[in-house]
Amino acid sequence: MSGLGIPVLEHRLANGLRVVLSPDHTVPVVAVNLWYGVGSRNEVAGQTGFAHLFEHMMFQGSSHVPKNRHFELVERAGGTLNATTWFDRTNYFDTLPSHHLDLALWLESDRMGWMVPALTEETLRNQQAVVMEEKKQRYDNRPYGDWDERLQRLVFPKGHPYHHKVIGSMEDIGAATLEDVRAFFSTYYTPGNAVLTLCGDFDPDDALARVDHYFGEIPAAPPPPPIPGTSHIPSRIGETVRDLVQDDVPLPRIYLAGRIPVYSDPGFHAAQLGMSILGEGRASRLFRNLVRGSGVAKDAGTHAFPLTTGSGMYVAWLTGFHGAEPDALAGHLTSEMEGLVEATEQELDRVKALASTRMLASIEDVSERADLLSMFACLFGTAERLNTEMDRLLAVSVEDVRSFGSEYLGEDNRALVIYEPETEDERAA
Amino acid sequence: MSLPLDRTQPPAPGPLRSFEFPPVPEDSLGNGLALRIVRLDRLPLVSTMLVLDAGEALLPAFRSGMAQLTGRALQGGTGRRSGEALAEALENLGVELGVSTGWDATTISLTSHADRLADALALVSEIVLTPSFPEAEIDRVRGQRLASLRQRRMSPSALAEDLTGYLVYPPGHPYARPASGVAEAVSGFDRVAAREWHAQRYRPGGAGLVVVGDVDPDEVRELATASFGDWTGEVSQPTAETPQASGDPGVRMVVAHRPGAVQSELRIGTVGVGRRHPDFFALQVLNTILGGAFTSRLNLNLRERNGFTYGVRSRFSFRRGSGPFTISTAVGTDVTVDAVGEALGELKLLLEEGPREEEVSAARDFLAGIFPLQMETSDRIASQITRLILYGLPSDHLSTYRDRIRGVSLQDAWEAGRRVLGDAAYVVLVVGDADEIAPGLEELGHGPVEILSEDSLPPFYPNS
Repeated sequence: MSGLGIPVLEHRLANGLRVVLSPDHTVPVVAVNLWYGVGSRNEVAGQTGFAHLFEHMMFQGSSHVPKNRHFELVERAGGTLNATTWFDRTNYFDTLPSHHLDLALWLESDRMGWMVPALTEETLRNQQAVVMEEKKQRYDNRPYGDWDERLQRLVFPKGHPYHHKVIGSMEDIGAATLEDVRAFFSTYYTPGNAVLTLCGDFDPDDALARVDHYFGEIPAAPPPPPIPGTSHIPSRIGETVRDLVQDDVPLPRIYLAGRIPVYSDPGFHAAQLGMSILGEGRASRLFRNLVRGSGVAKDAGTHAFPLTTGSGMYVAWLTGFHGAEPDALAGHLTSEMEGLVEATEQELDRVKALASTRMLASIEDVSERADLLSMFACLFGTAERLNTEMDRLLAVSVEDVRSFGSEYLGEDNRALVIYEPETEDERAA
Repeated sequence: MSLPLDRTQPPAPGPLRSFEFPPVPEDSLGNGLALRIVRLDRLPLVSTMLVLDAGEALLPAFRSGMAQLTGRALQGGTGRRSGEALAEALENLGVELGVSTGWDATTISLTSHADRLADALALVSEIVLTPSFPEAEIDRVRGQRLASLRQRRMSPSALAEDLTGYLVYPPGHPYARPASGVAEAVSGFDRVAAREWHAQRYRPGGAGLVVVGDVDPDEVRELATASFGDWTGEVSQPTAETPQASGDPGVRMVVAHRPGAVQSELRIGTVGVGRRHPDFFALQVLNTILGGAFTSRLNLNLRERNGFTYGVRSRFSFRRGSGPFTISTAVGTDVTVDAVGEALGELKLLLEEGPREEEVSAARDFLAGIFPLQMETSDRIASQITRLILYGLPSDHLSTYRDRIRGVSLQDAWEAGRRVLGDAAYVVLVVGDADEIAPGLEELGHGPVEILSEDSLPPFYPNS
């Protein structure tokens, strides 16, 4: 397979806004997707969680759109919408019947261009409370909920943009002022720091004229400041670091992580496929050897995070059974990871086949396709890269995967977070 | 686009573009296996689902969990291949096979490149028709499930889900237990049980094969015949009566005590209706107004006005039998009592005073409008069609869905809501710190608050 053949048209408005258009008339729907090049990596000490808190504020009304009107109008039109915040970006997405395209453009342009005057103390207080409940629901009130925070602290040194988690700390979320929020908006929510992608049922020339109509008058702004802190770090951690957590968890669980190449590095794809050989599917090493074979694992898996700033991260995890010895579990996991240096052609073919099916399935949905196009435009400067992404995966050789294993999966690049169920005595103490 | 832009008003929509989902032709093989094929040629991709009349609700209590466990053990091996060899054969085709079991059915699903369909169907047939259920795989699946039950007990949201069914339905009703099974029954799962369940329920009568994607329907029919034509057998329908779910109207308050919890999982539940209930469309509209969308009454109150929660939703779980109606949210410990009061108040207000005309029209527009999004991809279309087979819905259900929704009046929605949710027996369940919450709940005046301690939880979970 060479190229997915998705139509991709790229433009840039005079104010710097990048626009990606990908028509598809199968179903009369359109996805409107915006990536802003701001995430938790842009936060400074004392302001962790700001990018995400700000994402919430973007639904609290803009100059011509009262609070909650955005949701009301899109839902009434028969659309869905949401937004997410991640390390490197914040994305906003509306998917709606295609005859309502203008509605989405009007709403998104209003909050890109006319947001600051609508920010109020009342809506900020309300969303601070909502975000605190979100943090409790997603992280604090569930077993193992702090695993990612603990891993990030071990994998990325203090001062690195990925050292802290996206949701931030309760203290920082609570301390945000209206002035902070205004400053954050003016710095990062600028046309030049955004990508707007439309995917679905529209005529590209007509749609581009509409985009210019709604977004064209938003003034250009200076580029955002450099990412704070020290992005450049060694390619490996340099040692094995451990964090033993005795906690109110049901079963012992091991999280293992380390640095890997950044997404833009050719080595990332070898990391991605290597992780897939190890932990994806029932024919993966972890399932075959530890879940099905020796049976020491209740479940296990892997993931390569596509990150851009200084270093990426892989994560592997394994849940043991009641009463299992955590150190022994960690030993099983690390020795499977080391085994990647003996990956076979057949294993690589398997994960390439899985990746190929997944890629096709992910572009079937206009919303997901639009998000991928925005991602490639935002992170790599061109949305067209989506069409050749599969080729890059297929070009990875078994030698590439083995080299990745020997360079990155040794004991000089390991962070272990080990959860051990606390005993009744410890709980009472 | 030359007119000056007036930002103060939302732009008018363009002309509505038609979306007609054609009725899906009803076909079947000679053995009774229903066959539904939809051609969708945008990408060289195909989604396949095989739906079996093999759900958890059919099982007696002492066998609970067996439908799920048999599904889990299904990929453990066949007469010809080990589980490991099966996994390799499937994944070399780029296929990950999903087996999911709910109250009403077991569904085997996969998405593949269109040119791999023939090989994939042959493998699905081998797995579904000739599983060998090796002892080691049965043991593994049982051990994993017992460990999962241990995890459910310690996960506030999973515990809340399990306890809601337990409190809403009478003892002995299938919906009163977790769909994942209870510890004692799971401990007894063995090869004999798996083989027996498979022999009874993995049968073409009552089952359906749905194929959606870049395919030639005639070819798919031939492939289906080659893979499933020799399969035989019917499934029997259950004869045992399930206990009637009913209770005195009112509100029963229960707190599952988690000392020191930083947040409360809150559920408000009662018995809803089945999937084939005549009020299905009216209740969808009513629920959208109450808690089925972001701008529903509950979310605007609890989240956007009060900041009690990250989000709240209500839903009817439409099953073959009368599944529950549930309001679900997670709220701060210190605002739990207020959140319960507000949620009950919104429910009461909606049922007593009825929805407003503009709310009904917004809900209709939302439900009719998002329908194309639910029919956008091959796997979503396949999933919708499996439900037609499972619940015996007419073949034009999908093509008439939007008109049926648009036909719901304010009166229809309100009356359906009053019939089903008015004068009902409600359970308010809080999984949280009882010391902080129970006294305030008492003051809401719905009677005494029952406390479930660690020791008084129902026997769903492994001991120690």
